[in-house]
Amino acid sequence: MSATGRLVIWPERCRGCRSCQLACSFTRTGEYNPSRSCIELDRDLRTEKTAPMIRTLTCNLCNGEPACVDACTYAAISYESSADQVMVEYRRGGAK
Amino acid sequence: MNWTERTWYVDLSEGRSWCEEASRDEVGPVIGGSGRGWQILADRLPPGVDPFAPENVVILNPGVLVGTRTVGASKLTAITKFPTIASEDGRHYTGSCTSGGRYFPMGMRHAGCDRLVILGKAARPVVIAVRDRGVEIEDAADLWGRGIDEVSVELVRREGLDAGVLAIGTGGEKLVRSALTFIDRTNSLGRGGLGAVLGSKNVKAIVARGSGGVRVAEPDTYDRISNELLAHVLEWPRREHWIKLGLAAGWSTFKHTQNPGMWEKEHWDKLYGEDKRLESLRAVIACASCPLNCRLRWQIPGGEFDGEQGLGSPYSKSATSGQLLGIEDDRKMIHLVTEANAHTGIDYYTTMRLIDFVTRMYGQGRITKQQAGFELERSYATYERLYKMTAERDGIGDILADGWYAVKEAFGLDPQEYWYAGVCKGIDFIYDARPSKFHPLMMTFLTRPRPHHGGSHTRTNSRNKTLEEIREQVEHWGLDADTMDRIFTDTPYSGRFNVGRYTAYMEDLMRVKNALGLCTIYTYQALFFADDMARLHSAAVGDDITARELIACGERVTNLAKIINVRDGFSRADDQPPDVWFRPMDAPEGRIEIQDYFQTKTLTKDDLARMLDDYYDERGWETATGHPTEARLRVMGLGSYASHTP
Repeated sequence: MSATGRLVIWPERCRGCRSCQLACSFTRTGEYNPSRSCIELDRDLRTEKTAPMIRTLTCNLCNGEPACVDACTYAAISYESSADQVMVEYRRGGAK
Repeated sequence: MNWTERTWYVDLSEGRSWCEEASRDEVGPVIGGSGRGWQILADRLPPGVDPFAPENVVILNPGVLVGTRTVGASKLTAITKFPTIASEDGRHYTGSCTSGGRYFPMGMRHAGCDRLVILGKAARPVVIAVRDRGVEIEDAADLWGRGIDEVSVELVRREGLDAGVLAIGTGGEKLVRSALTFIDRTNSLGRGGLGAVLGSKNVKAIVARGSGGVRVAEPDTYDRISNELLAHVLEWPRREHWIKLGLAAGWSTFKHTQNPGMWEKEHWDKLYGEDKRLESLRAVIACASCPLNCRLRWQIPGGEFDGEQGLGSPYSKSATSGQLLGIEDDRKMIHLVTEANAHTGIDYYTTMRLIDFVTRMYGQGRITKQQAGFELERSYATYERLYKMTAERDGIGDILADGWYAVKEAFGLDPQEYWYAGVCKGIDFIYDARPSKFHPLMMTFLTRPRPHHGGSHTRTNSRNKTLEEIREQVEHWGLDADTMDRIFTDTPYSGRFNVGRYTAYMEDLMRVKNALGLCTIYTYQALFFADDMARLHSAAVGDDITARELIACGERVTNLAKIINVRDGFSRADDQPPDVWFRPMDAPEGRIEIQDYFQTKTLTKDDLARMLDDYYDERGWETATGHPTEARLRVMGLGSYASHTP
């Protein structure tokens, strides 16, 4: 991990569009491939509710400019500069 | 990067599958995706085949841009011969239907399957699995007889959370002719009976999951264009409202354009309006890569269906049908949508229109109790019973399951007597041309076998757009000055906007959008245009194509689709508007008549005939027959198909 910062995930805001996965994989590999992104999408099969989950072992926070944050048009992922060791934090909060 | 397309064929009768690759140059004249799909069908589907015969072909085409991060690039187009869209003498149309999705269309592409061609008929129920290692046919005995939701969830549990599923319901299994499929539980696909066609092939579901990537020829350029378009969409002033409500939005327009004219508008507003929708709306869900989500999850509050949840889009269809059937409790109508989406897969529109028709005819003594099997009261209990009987093909439901011509044969009731929107090519509409006015989408209901918008949306598909707005959009299409003049020259039958001539290009652009896999909401809301599509296509496949050239590719596809139907005997005689369009609707607010786009005059049948003349003429087709001419086919490089027309 070459940047210090924190991805803040707002699960209730996620609409399941998978743009975060596509942007992440494109930035990392030059192709659109969710299976090579640092994000998995959790999926509740009862409601089809989804939420992004970060693979912290591979995510490098895009050196402080995370592609997933720009890609998420529903504000379900945000980024905060942080000097502490917490890389991902989940917060409650309704749809934006 | 050398762009190629991989078509997977699966022959259910022989139990085998294989893959064929095509280069960009081979695919180019018709674009990839559904464009190439139509060409394959034109070469593989002989005339005269019954939709339920093993010889019918189903082709599933995720768009060329699907699986990338371009706004709205989530769409899949299915092509087949449909069981409901037909002539009274038993000829059936071949057509297409489109839908987005979150997992299934993308899953196909990530598994290296750019197109799936389904041939033959399986001996017993199967699931077709599209995975990295190829396409396989798997036993589905344990899934047959189960509903769409149950089967979709079961397959995702087996394959993984990122698996996509296209499934049919119990109605499709029983060959209810209107039966649809559902993609990822949220997106219906196949008005006209795709679910029934798959049922006839014993295909319960198709599951797609892959770990491969989608690559584009010029990644940096493509990403930059995608970001530009995204930024533009995010600035759309109505976005905030749209993402809050999804397809629950739009009531302020809908209540005028889709008004059945039986209730006072205020009454309808109170029972089915936006405030009412918010009582059951629980979440809005996006298709892949879409910043303008529209799919819905609802939960019925109170009443006999308290707590029932559903997925899809229940509000517009329940509002119109609720008024037609006189049901004031929206929860009952939403419950029937839930039943269709989650279990049976039967088409809500067609089934409700048929129920409306036969129950009113029963009240007039045109159907007897002996024929019906029980008393057809105008009550919710009767509607629900008929709905279930249709899905089960039980009693009178067996007749309703076969559609409008079957009702005519059984009871002597002409579908042209139906009072809301009417029937054309054997199927009912979701809109009525009288309250909607005669916009280009209405025109396409006559010119192509599709009773839904099916990707046709452009700026003009609702009334009250200005001539300047329409012209601005058309300027992005790259048409020459003479063509622009023809579209915007005043005529006595179409006013200042020539709907017939415009429709020809709109349809061709629709073929392009379908081939690329782009959702129609973006062109409908003027958020991007044909030249944006050309830029995206060029960067994706590595060519340098203009909007006008793309539309020319779309024209080839339109002609291929037309030739397939001409081979089955269809002609201009089948492109006739429903009689009811010319009978004034007597609504509480006054008389509503079919009018031209700018509502300057009431239209006659002859006016629509002149618009059809213009449409065929613009296409270079024979105006008398509506058939493509040999000369025009040769200009388009389709001369080898000239012998297929009479």
